[in-house]
Amino acid sequence: MRNIRLISRLDIKAPNLVKGIQFEGLRKLGDPNEFALKYYLQGVDEIFYTDIVASLYERNSLLDIIKQTTDNVFVPITVGGGLRSVEDVLAALRAGADKVSINTAAIKNPSIITEISKKFGSQCMVLSIQAKWQGDHWEAYYDNGREHSYLDVVEWAKKGAELGAGEIILTSVDKEGTFKGFDHDLIRAVTDAVSIPVIASGGMGKLEDINTAVNYGNADAVAMASVLHYNHHDINSIREHCLNEKIPVRKVSSIGMP
Amino acid sequence: MSNVVVIDYGMSNLRSVQKGLEKVGAKVTLSSNESVIAKADHLILPGVGAFESGMNGLKDAGLVGVINDYVKTGNHLLGICLGMQMLLDFSEENGSYQGLGLIPGCVKKIPESNKEQVDRKIPHIGWASIKQPKIIDWNGSCLNKIQSNDFFYFVHSYMAVTESQKYMLAHCEDDGLLLAAAIKKDNVTGLQFHPEKSGEAGLKVLKKFISL
Amino acid sequence: MINQKNVQALYNLPTNVEFCKKCTISNQRPRISFDENGICSACNFAEYKKKIDWSIREKELADLCDKHRKNDGSYDVVVPCSGGKDGSFVAHMLKNKYKMNPLTVTWAPHIYTDIGRKNLDNFIRIGGFDNILGSVNGSVHQKMSQLAFLHMGDNFQSFIYGQTNFPIKVAVQHNISLIMYGENGEVEYGGDMKNAQQPTRDIKDHDGHYFSGKPPEFWVEHGVSKSDLYPYMPPSYEKIIKNKTEIHFMSYYHFWDPQENYYYSVKHTGFESNPERTEGTFSKYAGLDDKTDGQHYYLSYIKFGIGRATSDVSHEIRDGKITRDEGVLLVKKYDGEFPKLYFKETLSYLNISEELYWQVIDSWRSPHLWSKIDGVWKLNTTVWDIK
Repeated sequence: MRNIRLISRLDIKAPNLVKGIQFEGLRKLGDPNEFALKYYLQGVDEIFYTDIVASLYERNSLLDIIKQTTDNVFVPITVGGGLRSVEDVLAALRAGADKVSINTAAIKNPSIITEISKKFGSQCMVLSIQAKWQGDHWEAYYDNGREHSYLDVVEWAKKGAELGAGEIILTSVDKEGTFKGFDHDLIRAVTDAVSIPVIASGGMGKLEDINTAVNYGNADAVAMASVLHYNHHDINSIREHCLNEKIPVRKVSSIGMP
Repeated sequence: MSNVVVIDYGMSNLRSVQKGLEKVGAKVTLSSNESVIAKADHLILPGVGAFESGMNGLKDAGLVGVINDYVKTGNHLLGICLGMQMLLDFSEENGSYQGLGLIPGCVKKIPESNKEQVDRKIPHIGWASIKQPKIIDWNGSCLNKIQSNDFFYFVHSYMAVTESQKYMLAHCEDDGLLLAAAIKKDNVTGLQFHPEKSGEAGLKVLKKFISL
Repeated sequence: MINQKNVQALYNLPTNVEFCKKCTISNQRPRISFDENGICSACNFAEYKKKIDWSIREKELADLCDKHRKNDGSYDVVVPCSGGKDGSFVAHMLKNKYKMNPLTVTWAPHIYTDIGRKNLDNFIRIGGFDNILGSVNGSVHQKMSQLAFLHMGDNFQSFIYGQTNFPIKVAVQHNISLIMYGENGEVEYGGDMKNAQQPTRDIKDHDGHYFSGKPPEFWVEHGVSKSDLYPYMPPSYEKIIKNKTEIHFMSYYHFWDPQENYYYSVKHTGFESNPERTEGTFSKYAGLDDKTDGQHYYLSYIKFGIGRATSDVSHEIRDGKITRDEGVLLVKKYDGEFPKLYFKETLSYLNISEELYWQVIDSWRSPHLWSKIDGVWKLNTTVWDIK
């Protein structure tokens, strides 16, 4: 098994880091770069930024934030929110992003997945899926879990992989911000269907939630937001837990890391 | 202070490479200019994306000869990720394309299943530690200070296969497969992983490189 | 044929539409006022709120509770609550922080949504509260809603009557003097500033605000008998006074922040937001228990050009949650969205044809707000068009 990646997910309404429950009631939490640096120094594996008002403003406003992040944070950075074209992606990469995550634009025009992965490599193209349970299947939503796409998540994930997505970040709209655990069945349904890496997101509360996401869900990485931003756990203790539980993660030397 | 030039040939994220090098004390210039490159103390060839696009980018910028000339001076060249792959003779990515030919070998696709027929996820994305092959000495290379608990960030679908084991500077293990993590021939080094994205361990490697 | 209403005269609305420079509410909201800088009274109140010494107000609440606490096992405060985030917050705070023994009172919606019913159940079971659910004779409630829609342009009036009077009835029946509401809407959302500096509502004021000029006699005229009306009516004024009834607002005692109430109620009373975005707005955590309430907000949009999104955006701006720029874009995107999810069900509930429905709607469109351009109704002035 490859090392599981521990990722911090930062939802941004520039200039603030924000967080809600089930994408509702977004609270301002502070300067995104302060949080990103804190997590980097604690040994986070990757940083995922999403501009969550990008669709509303019809532009991504994270470029200045990313530029600042790259001054001091030397782990991969993924940027998402309102990216609609190859030009948008190029601007994000030039600002310091390593990967981009796309949701709305891919739903409205799936061929953009192929365009981006052809031009920049599939490893750069992360398909972001917001999944909501509808009683007998999961449906993909966009715009912060507000708008229906009417697409079945598992089918959409398969299609996205076929079109050239290198990775999927899979967020449970039902669970995110609740601390009640990931939607493990959701993760498993998607990892069973695709052969590209899947990042589980939404709902982490207890350290043991990672066990189920990885051992039952077969997630390749976990993205955490509320649990980190509200200091329920820090990256160090999460990493230690994984090592104790024989969940493979990279080891981080503690010298120089507060 | 080392005057480092990072080759700018239109293949994405130069900023992180620049910031990483500056963090370890280098003076960094991004350039595709022949005379600027020739004067560099150390030269970096970054790259993300497809082999064909990368080589076309270098050719269009008239840089193939420039890089070869630089290597002849004996100063150190570091290729990162796609940059590493382009150091080899050719690549099988989406066809067959010629590389810079600075290190004998080629680029092949990472196999999709391991010996036990278990599917491997492509791209190879994630953190892995690297190992020093028995016949290789890390002294005099940028991996000099690296330990077994240093982890590096990999993201690639293709891997380097050198003609001789003597050019395999380091490997990493991915589900039973030994992948080239780093290759080296004299003053030309290639890293499959991203040192500018590998936290403190990566910065260590960059720091060592600019002191060579 | 439905008569065209003179909306401007009925609600005393200014002819020129102006928008608050800080939030997105317009001067068409009844009873709002704008100062010389073009800022609405609700925004000014929001600024004033920040300067209040809340520790003093909290002490007043503690004293109030000390005065009313019974300590003999019987109820000492009535909390009107639908199971939504605001009432849940009030009930839980009073019970757990102030050691009161609340009787929570719910006036049943016209048609319960699943999430609304679930939230009330969670409130009772997870929050842990005694609750009285007042359900009116269903056919009467339907009739009242229909008459309110046809004659007042608001199907929700009947609900509002009961919501105001039922808790008072329960308070009198149970010998409870104290009734604690959540926010004083007239103060927080820009209406009557008379009550801004005091914790209570004058009971006599009910008639002025909530009967909308239609006395009980009107209903009797339209086939709603006195006993049909009984559950909607307050107890007699004498009984209210004899009970020493006081209506207080938690928003006077505690810095009112609906978003924080959301977090609080998720944590303590099992509150869940709407699984679907609420039609006509961007939010999912308010007003989600009645399938027919979408029409109430849509009618407000028709009468005043103020839809649900405008109201939600305005208070989120005042509470510092979003910027005005974002608010304007949200209004542009969602305001006036037709509530189609429960439209057919609501029409059937109101027992009117779709043709009649649209005639009623159009009869409330004032020319000072609306024009028909190429067969499509458009607002003359919108907040996103103003520079």
